[in-house]
Amino acid sequence: MRTTTRRTPRGLIALGALAASSVLLVACGGGSSTSTSSSAAPAESSAAAETSAAPAESSAAPAADGLLAQILESGTLRVSTDPAYPPQSSYDEATGEWQGFDIDVANEIATRMGVVTQWETPAWDVITAGNWNDRWDVSVGSMSITEERAQVLDFTEPYYFTPAGVAVNADSDIQSIDQLAGKRVGVCGACTYEYYLNRTLAIPGFNFEFLVPEDVEIVTYDTDTTALQDLKLGRVDAMVSAVPLLEEAIKKGKEIRLVGDPVFLEPLAVAVDKSASQPVDSLVAELNRIIAEMHADGTLSELSMKWYGVDITKGPGA
Amino acid sequence: MPDSSTREAVPHQRHGLAQSIEAASLAIPFRVKVAAVWAVIFALLAFAFFRSGFDIQWMIDKTPAIVRGVWVTILFSVIAITAATFLALLGALGRISKNPIAYGISGFYTSFFRGTPLIVQLFLWYLALPQLAIGLLPEPYASWFIWPAQVAGVVGIAFNYGAYMTEIFRSGIEAVPHGQTEAADALGMSYGQRMRRVILPQAARIVIPPTGNEFIAMIKDTALIGLLGTTILWADPFRVAQLTGKADFRNLEALIIAAIVYWGLTAIFSFFQRKLEARMSKGYVRTAVKAG
Repeated sequence: MRTTTRRTPRGLIALGALAASSVLLVACGGGSSTSTSSSAAPAESSAAAETSAAPAESSAAPAADGLLAQILESGTLRVSTDPAYPPQSSYDEATGEWQGFDIDVANEIATRMGVVTQWETPAWDVITAGNWNDRWDVSVGSMSITEERAQVLDFTEPYYFTPAGVAVNADSDIQSIDQLAGKRVGVCGACTYEYYLNRTLAIPGFNFEFLVPEDVEIVTYDTDTTALQDLKLGRVDAMVSAVPLLEEAIKKGKEIRLVGDPVFLEPLAVAVDKSASQPVDSLVAELNRIIAEMHADGTLSELSMKWYGVDITKGPGA
Repeated sequence: MPDSSTREAVPHQRHGLAQSIEAASLAIPFRVKVAAVWAVIFALLAFAFFRSGFDIQWMIDKTPAIVRGVWVTILFSVIAITAATFLALLGALGRISKNPIAYGISGFYTSFFRGTPLIVQLFLWYLALPQLAIGLLPEPYASWFIWPAQVAGVVGIAFNYGAYMTEIFRSGIEAVPHGQTEAADALGMSYGQRMRRVILPQAARIVIPPTGNEFIAMIKDTALIGLLGTTILWADPFRVAQLTGKADFRNLEALIIAAIVYWGLTAIFSFFQRKLEARMSKGYVRTAVKAG
């Protein structure tokens, strides 16, 4: 009896240690097996590439090393997208795939690299915060090049420029941007539109005129479509977002209207994670080369016409 | 004269219309009355719903896609409850242990995982664990801990529910009369033999019903995994609802469908849960009658 009770704790520790290590093994095993099964990415990249010629083996590609070499070797470009943002990126439940301008651009980039895309769909603030832990390679997500983000992410040259605008309910009294003074304005949190309202938006090489009155009450949301929902419910008087998104909402039956002209043009770029375990310089160079090529041969203009009905790939200077 | 006529109709009761209604309703079975209350609630909800300008055609079109996410919910829940049961068993043995290490670890486990919000824990598994692993482990071991959203989510839910279930299991084990332990000791059983052959089988029948309740609660909480950004292959009804709703600017409609889907799912499992509880309590009732 005495010896039995003395022995038990040691037995328990052994049992506990064994069990804990098997938990760990199970967890890891689960991790690797499910991550491979999530690679069942839509294989539509070849279809999206009907306009382009063969992949860029012939042109003068920079020497592939680091993350670029790893992508080329695996044959897969892992792209993050925030599919809450039509017509840039959204879920098409009829086909079960992602669709939009960013999706087409990413597929085209992958095709020109000679690889296929694989999608990851983390929350937007997880993408902009950097520290991707190698979960995906690039963000093709209409991301603005802000100073804060440039500390954790490396940006390519802009691939297009989105006009930002103010929207109100169709029956609102607000007719001009000046009338927003003292009103509640909805906006996505930690995004360029919030920085614009806060007058802290800074993008190297661009100057912004802050046209929205300083004393608006800013209400932030997880993403623009939630702000839009609250605008319809009347919890905010107006919202600031991408004009294409607002126009898409109007097209899909939301009774809102734009106020005045777009307030600013934001340059949007492909981003890669500075903290990636592999060097990213040659990947950024390769992405810049492909984006320049897509600007030059009219592919980006064509996709812009397809999704936005206008060509917004030329910068403010052009 | 309505007052006096009422009095005549129900001579042995106190005055008033209320009493006469009460008397008349005595003939109607309780279940029928409850069904009538539910019917009225549904009628009011349906009326409010159809008057509120929701896009009903859109909802009909998108319901199949949202319902299809149910298999993800069930898969997540089944894996997580299995792992949580395992963790809770270890945790409970730790909580009743005289070993300071086992007791300390299990105490930390239940305190931390019950004392912090589940959604925060999910983001810690998804975002903070890889950071810790990269800081502490050499390649390629660090990459073992960089999990996709659905794995981090299921592990997070399993650990969280395991902590709550630890207390359920502990109380279940402690509810087994102490004489059982003494009898096992008297037979010269080791700790493992006593637990496996005597205590745990008796504790199991006590803890199975509340574990079923945890499972039903877990079904709903798996919706949080979508917030980590699961991709479409691993999208549960809430995630699909968010994606389809945002694509067409029909967020509210999508959320209503998701709510109904989860409600239906938990209603089904609650039905089985009631059957299970009835079955479990039956055994106790019979024992009690025999003993008496």
